Amino acid sequence: MSTPLLRLAGIRKRYGAVEALSGVDLDVHAGEVVAVVGDNGAGKSTLIRVASGAHAPSEGHIEVEGRRVGFASPLDALNAGVATIYQDLALAARQPIWQNVFIGAERTRRLLPGIAVLDKRRMRREARDFLARLKIDMADTNRPVESLSGGQRQAVAIARALRWNARLVIMDEPTAALGVAESRQVLDLIRELHRGGTTVILISHNMADVVAVATRVAVLKNGRKIADRPVEGLSADDLAHLVMIGQLPQKAA
Amino acid sequence: MTAREGIGGVLATYGTAIAALILFCFFAAMAPNFLNPTNLLNVLKQVSFLAILGIGFGLAFTVAELDLSFAAVCSFAAVVTGGLVHHKFPPVAAMAGGIGVGLCAGVLNGVLVTRLKIPSLIATLATASIATGLGFAVTGGVAFVGRWNPAFLALGRGQLLGVPVLILWTASAALLALFLLKQTRLGLHLVFTGEADEAARLAGVKTRRMKALGLALAGLGAGLVGVLLTATLNSAAPNMAADYLLTSIAAVLLGMTMFEPGRCNVPGTLVGAATIGMLGNGLVLMGAPYYVQDIMLGVIIVASVALSASALKKAAFGI
Repeated sequence: MSTPLLRLAGIRKRYGAVEALSGVDLDVHAGEVVAVVGDNGAGKSTLIRVASGAHAPSEGHIEVEGRRVGFASPLDALNAGVATIYQDLALAARQPIWQNVFIGAERTRRLLPGIAVLDKRRMRREARDFLARLKIDMADTNRPVESLSGGQRQAVAIARALRWNARLVIMDEPTAALGVAESRQVLDLIRELHRGGTTVILISHNMADVVAVATRVAVLKNGRKIADRPVEGLSADDLAHLVMIGQLPQKAA
Repeated sequence: MTAREGIGGVLATYGTAIAALILFCFFAAMAPNFLNPTNLLNVLKQVSFLAILGIGFGLAFTVAELDLSFAAVCSFAAVVTGGLVHHKFPPVAAMAGGIGVGLCAGVLNGVLVTRLKIPSLIATLATASIATGLGFAVTGGVAFVGRWNPAFLALGRGQLLGVPVLILWTASAALLALFLLKQTRLGLHLVFTGEADEAARLAGVKTRRMKALGLALAGLGAGLVGVLLTATLNSAAPNMAADYLLTSIAAVLLGMTMFEPGRCNVPGTLVGAATIGMLGNGLVLMGAPYYVQDIMLGVIIVASVALSASALKKAAFGI
């Protein structure tokens, strides 16, 4: 098999006396949508914090395309092409869409020698284009993020990841706070990302979501990975069984 | 906030600015000598000081930090400037001294807040106390007055092409602040740091540096006003800018109710400063007792913040 885009190798993470992760391996290949599932306290969030650069692992290492990397911060991960979309989305609610998409990597144009100003027109247009890639039609990117629906906000956060040229997007419980219609919109966003060639790691509690969009699923339990298999052929119930009991129901096994 | 449609939207965005205009007309009709050019010029002087201090305070506020030291720093900068002029230093040196004092105090605030992790409310109170003490130390408690170099006095009293220089100083400060905030990367980073500093940090914005910069710019404004105040009044005394603490903050808060409701903004600060300056002057001209001003100021502060909160549908202060 080819070199994985992201490899988490033997990741352990201890918080004081508590071991949240006890040696987890996870390979994510380009173009996959890998769901990471597990009960509360299984270690999903910790794994994501390590992969996103927010926390350093106590043991183990991370490879991006076969090269060992040390993420000292989420910014390091971003620069390596790994963008994380946090549960709270990390958006500035009162600021316009285009600013939220471009914050930290603004486009400027030269006004006078030595004086660069924001190229707002270009950023508005490009923000619109990024959203269009996600099949979100947003004519006015001057609108503040707070005026958007939950699904649209998720799209703005993803557009920011695309703007970073992220090859891997980690989404932490993207549908957790959303209603049915908005959740469906977010699942569509993930399908669009997948179609566009972006690799996705999806953390979720919702087995129906996982079955709907993921290509592979890794199940965590008590800080260990107890299953890692293609989603194909699994139902949401099978998956729930796997998460809770640790094995598939007899009929599917 | 997006601009809302219709009359309700206009009132929500410009209501207090319109009220300020009505207040102007009221004083023009009722207060004797209000429209007299000498009087209006006096008002404009006060407004200039309020506005520049307010713009500085507003830049710190933009990064979600409170600078309560600007008035004390302004007084200290004034006595340093006055001392230099008084001892026959050239005007440029006196000006550099005053502005330097302001900038140093602002940088100190930035270090206290971003490195030593002291909340700005506390850090700047401490800076204010230190600045006040140093001001008395420099002057020995008295004021510098004298027959000063006219070239220095022209910094505050002069005219350029028929326009009082104080207006030009204020306009320059306002245009620079507007340009910074609305047109540059740095300005956008300042705004994001204030609006959502975790989001900004995760996107690679150097939020600590932005907070330090906002506080440093507030100090710079205080230093500049210290120089201008000294030149305008031909004197420098410790505590001479103390009254500007509340009036300037009131101007900023009043400004937050207009143009971009719920948000500190430069045009709002200018109109707010004009309103507060005009109010003080008009009330005196109409023979109101001096304490009426203080009462009005308190009412304006409370009403402004309440209006901002209703525009935001939440408290205007997260500090």
